[in-house]
Formats: sequence, structure tokens, C-alpha cells
Amino acid sequence: MKLKLLLLSFLLALPAHSARGDTPGQNFLIQCSACHAVDHKLVGPSLVEISGIYGKDPDGFLRWCMKPGKKRPDTIEMPSMAHVGEPALKEIYGYILSAAAGKTEQAVADNSAALENNRRPRVQRIFMPDASPAAIAVALPGDLSFCFDAGDCRLRYVWKGGFIDALDHYKGNGNALAKLKGDVLYREGEFPLSGGSTVSSTPKFLGYSMSEGIPIFRYLRDGVEYSEKITPLPDGSGIQREFTTKGSTALILKPAGKGAVAAASTGEGPIQTNSFTLTYRWK
Amino acid sequence: MKKLLLFLALSTALHAAPEPVRFDFQSIQVPPNIDPQVGGVAVLPDGKVVTVFHRGEVMIYDPAAKTWSRFAEGLHEPLGILVESPSSFLIMQRPELTRVKDTNGDGVADEYETVFDDFGISGNYHEFAFGPVKDKDGSLYIALNLASQFAGVRPEIRGTFTDIGELDRKGMTQDKEWSKRSEKAGRMYSRVNWRGWVLKLSPDGKQMEPFASGFRSPDGIGFDADGNLLVTDNEGDWRGTSPLYIAKAGGFYGNPASLVWRKGWDKGDPLKVPLEELQKMRTMETGRFPQGFLANSPTEPAIFPKSWGPYAGQVVLGEMNQNRMVRYLPDDVAGFRQSTLIPMFDDTELGSGNHRVAFGPDGAMWVGKTHLSWAGAEGLVKVTPKDAEKIFTVVSCHVVKAAKGQEMHIRVSQPIGAQLPKIAVERYDYLYHRDYGSDQVGKAEVPVGNAIVSADGLEITLPMEMKEGFIHQVDLTPLVSKTGSPLEGKLLYYQATKLP
Repeated sequence: MKLKLLLLSFLLALPAHSARGDTPGQNFLIQCSACHAVDHKLVGPSLVEISGIYGKDPDGFLRWCMKPGKKRPDTIEMPSMAHVGEPALKEIYGYILSAAAGKTEQAVADNSAALENNRRPRVQRIFMPDASPAAIAVALPGDLSFCFDAGDCRLRYVWKGGFIDALDHYKGNGNALAKLKGDVLYREGEFPLSGGSTVSSTPKFLGYSMSEGIPIFRYLRDGVEYSEKITPLPDGSGIQREFTTKGSTALILKPAGKGAVAAASTGEGPIQTNSFTLTYRWK
Repeated sequence: MKKLLLFLALSTALHAAPEPVRFDFQSIQVPPNIDPQVGGVAVLPDGKVVTVFHRGEVMIYDPAAKTWSRFAEGLHEPLGILVESPSSFLIMQRPELTRVKDTNGDGVADEYETVFDDFGISGNYHEFAFGPVKDKDGSLYIALNLASQFAGVRPEIRGTFTDIGELDRKGMTQDKEWSKRSEKAGRMYSRVNWRGWVLKLSPDGKQMEPFASGFRSPDGIGFDADGNLLVTDNEGDWRGTSPLYIAKAGGFYGNPASLVWRKGWDKGDPLKVPLEELQKMRTMETGRFPQGFLANSPTEPAIFPKSWGPYAGQVVLGEMNQNRMVRYLPDDVAGFRQSTLIPMFDDTELGSGNHRVAFGPDGAMWVGKTHLSWAGAEGLVKVTPKDAEKIFTVVSCHVVKAAKGQEMHIRVSQPIGAQLPKIAVERYDYLYHRDYGSDQVGKAEVPVGNAIVSADGLEITLPMEMKEGFIHQVDLTPLVSKTGSPLEGKLLYYQATKLP
């Protein structure tokens, strides 16, 4: 067994400088080994698994190699191996069966879940549900998190509980959205302030600065430059949003979305100052 | 077991002429609790290595102390970095180009300034964003991937959606039935603005010029020593094999999906434009990487510094799938810059996944690795040459017109041995078409006439009749130097887009 292992590692160390391998084993190394290992899943299935599928179906193996596609939801599509040519693919087929003979599938240790970052506060740009792809997830101190949309430049929703489960997103190259580890308490259907300027334009995101782990977003909406810092209320009953503005005259606070009541630090009526706080308390 | 022993015997025979150890490879211990897939590498003037990771961390490695420190985090699939100063970096992430900056000197970024985000993101996973690189005038260039047919677009997008295409907005939106109609989207698609383009930005990022179109997955953007903007792309639709282009203003580089964003575009669905028309519009490849043989997914170009001896001033490119990198040697023919691509670091411990490349002030090459669920590897590797001046390798390859056909002039870094071995040349082409990839076509041996070695032993002249458009693969495996050293980089892939 030890000798076999030694031989195998020797084979794997074979040079890849030849444009074409002289043996099926070399061809396998050049053409296939980047994605297929003998007894465990690498990018694609192991030789053990391939042998199980095509062990009695060499024609099926050839067809797949010449014109593959995407079969598995969690695996990328295999590129065509037509450039290798049928004769060499037939030899590789033989090599796969012999290399897999007597082997069993080994489970692959996956520690990627252990890399989940649970530190708070924290900012993570990622694809989020119910937002544009330019979304930003923010974990606040405590148990509130929110999604800010850098596309539309506004708060989208607040949730309570854990932060996000982003593993599928990271493992699938962004093909999955992050999942919320909690329940949404509040959604906002539109930007909470109106007025201020007669200029109407597409919102423009300017970035954010960090203040003790909390982002202060900056954006332009309808000729007004805003900065906004969202933090939890100390008693856990909601959030506060500290705004500063440039270029505004009088802003009107719109009613909060379902599930919260909004109030401005300036009281009732138009907001005439360029520094104010909006408080949202959960109903 | 007998079969294995036979392999062993054959392999031993192949190892008859041992390769000298020309390079030192040092695998760097990655920081704990980090997914060590590298999207960007840059080296600071003091030699510290800024490394950008898959899940959005920006970490700085101190090679002297062998420690990592966290500079920033929270970015979305960052895939490129440009150093402005030791405390300010431009980083390309999925949604935008961002200036990540430490303004209070505590070594941690506190400012994430949006420099440029005026491009579309549909939410399709394949819409990666690359760059930035800076030209000598300070302008910045970024490159944007097409979306992939293996997913639709999200209900909400950022940017502008074009209605040009077989499916309407609703039809393009991902749902459970997507796979039943995905063929109609095109293998790759550009339904939001500037997908498949290289964009040029003013130094402050405030002005954008749509620079060049026709790209598919341009995961390698950088300059050669003459200031040409090199862009690599990946085998796929309209890429018979992975190409290397020199991108110029207004150029179209083959994959039609992006044409829908061209100013004044009036030809409807670009995927339905006849091939002959696209053929006339496109700029040809400067180099091609034979799929499965030289490279499957070429990546970032970088220029070798002086300490790399015979390689100094040349361009090296990363490669994801094969255990190697690739070198580029330009040749200007009939006003067109084409090239020879040469495997590098074959038979070494470099490994695969070579995604990002940067050189330090001491000349060390830093290679960041990734796979992103494709073939590849992880981590950061430091590569230094040993006795660089003594390395025997090809340093240039030029084709000139001869009385009959052409002559290929191959210069090497050390005098070659007395006896010139037989040098085999074969040629082949890859088709330009809508299908994914291409077989090698028109493959033939190329008869080589009387090969001549220059008096100083540094140049070989190979007379042959070359075929325009074809890759000419020159096998220099048997070549040894006067001192008996085998050649570093044994195969030349000369892209004869033009013939003299």
C-alpha cells in the first residue's frame, strides 16, 4: 500500500511540459488532474465516482467529454475535452478505471463554514435578498443588522438575530444570495425624506467612513449630499439614524414603513437644519 | 501494480536530464480564519505585501516579521488592487472601484470612498470586475465580465438594462424555470451596461471612456514594458482557446455580447450578427494559449524587474489550471504586435491557481492563488530566481521574410551547444465561432529548412513556410546550452496573426 502511495505521488509529480502526454497517465495529469482526483471530489467528481457512472459505458464517457454541460448544481460546468481527441480520451478512460479500481470515495473535510465571521459590529458587501446587487450588510452591536442598498442609496430593511450566512455565496462564486440569520423587523419601501431640492437625479453612492466599526454612508440624492449613520437605540426598541446634509433647504419626513414609527429630532414639520436624527421605534 | 511499475520506468526515462533548480518557491503561511483565495496582490515600497482575499479582507504581510495585519474588510469579491500610497489603495470589487484608505495612521482603513460605480450589475454571479491598472498618464482601466447563461439576472439590478436580446427583462430574470430558456440568453450575455468592456477612467475616476469591447472574462489586465494594454481572456464562446489581446481605444475583441453598449449600435441582437461581419470588425489575437496544453485560464500580466536576468523587462502571465505561468515575447510584424507565449516554471513546485502577480522592491515575485470553485489553488507564494544570469532560456522570437517563406529568429540567453538538435514545428488554428471553445484545426507539421546557429551561439534561425493566422508550436525540448543546461521554457507558441 505504501509503495502504491509512493508511486502515485511520483506519478502526480510528473512533468507537464510536454504539449501532449506520451502516456494516458500523463495525458490525465495534463488535461484532467486540475479538477479530478482519484478518490475525492476536487472541482469535479473523483475517478471513483466517474468509474461508477461510466464503468460500463465508455461511449457515454466519450460523449460527455466531447460535449459536457452542467449537471450538478454545486459544481461548475465541465469544459469540453474535444481538443484531446477521441483516441486519447479512450486511453484516459482506461486510465481512470484502472486508477480507481479498488478505491473508495473519501469524504473531503470542508472547513469553509468555520471561517464565518461573527464579530460585531461589521460591514460586509454581498448579494442580499430584496436589494440591488450593490447591497451592504451591516451587523450592529447587539442583535440588530440592516441592509443598505448602495444602488438606490437607502436603507432597505432591519433584522434581529444573527448576521448573515454567506457560505453558499462564497462557495458558489456569488450564485447564491446571503441568507439572513434572523427575522426582518422593518422594511422601508422608499427613501424616508423628501424635498430639499428641485433637482431630480439618479441617487449616487459616495462611499462610507468607519466610526468604531459603524459605517457612515454618504450619498447624493436629488441634489442633496447626505451622510447617514444607523445605530441601535440603547434600550433595544429601534434604531436611530443620524443625518447631516449639504445643499438641502427643507426636508419632509415620510411616515415609516410598516412595523415602526418614525420621529425627527427637530420635531413636527419640515426639517430646516443640516444635522438631525431620525428615530424609528418598532411597533 | 505491474502497470504502475511500467509508468515508473517510463517516467524515470523522462527524467533522464535533470532540470537545474532555477527558482526558489516559498509558500507563505496564510492568516488564520481567512479563506485564502487571493483576488489581488501588490507590494509596498518597504516590501510589505498587500493581499486581497475572496471574502473581502485586505491583509498586509510583513515578510521580515512573517506577520499579517488586517487593513480592511467587507469588500465584495475584490479582484484587483493598485497602490496609491502605503495607506491608500484602489480596489476593484464587484459593485465598484473603491479607494480604501487609512486616514488616521492606525494601520486600519477608515475610509471606503466610491471612486467609480457607473456600470451595471445584474446580480448574475459571473459579472466579476477586474483592475484597476494605471497608464503613464495616470488614467485607470478596469475590465468587466459578461454574465453567464448558468444563471439569470436578479429582480433588482443596478445600472441600465438593455431590451436588446431574445428574452425580455422578465424572461431574463432568474426563476425556477430559468434553465429551460437559458439557451436564449446566449452562452454569455451583457444585459446591463458595460459588461464585456474595458473602461478607461480619468485619474480621479470622475470621467469614463468606454475604451474597448468584445471581452468575455478578462481576468488579466496590465501593461507591457512598451505601455501596451494587455488583456487576457478565457476560452469559451467566440474564444476557440484563451486569447491575449492588446486593447486599444475603440477596438472590438471578438465576443459580440458587449457590442450592444457600443455608441450608435443599430444592428440589433449582437449574438445574431453574421460571423463574417464580426470577423471584419474584430482585432485579432496578439497571442493564444492552447487550451489544455499551455493554459486554460490565463490571468494577470506583470513585468519582470532587473533582478530576473534574462527575463528582465519581459511580461509574465498567471495561469489557473496548469502548474505553471506563461511568458510573453512580442514581435511586431506588419505594424501588428503579435507574440510568442512560452511555458514558465514547468516541473517546479509552483503549482496551479496562479491568479495575481506582483514584484517587490527586492525583485521577489509574489503569486496569489485562487480557484473560485474552478480548478486552481489557494494562498500566497514568493518566487525568487537563483543565479538568474545563468538561466538558459529564450529571450526573443522574431519572424522575418525570407526568399521562400519566413525565418524565425530565436534568441537565447546562453550560447547553445555545438550540435543543434532537430527542432520540430507544428502549426494549428482554433476556430472563431459562437460555440464554446474549438478543436485544433488545420494541424500539420511544418517542415523546417536548414537551421543555422549564429557565431556567438545565441541565435537560431529556422527557415520555414508559416501560415497566416496559425499558432506555430516550436519544440525546443532537445536544446541544451554549451554548458549542458536544458532550456527553461521548452515550447514556443508563436501566434502568426500577420506574416512578413
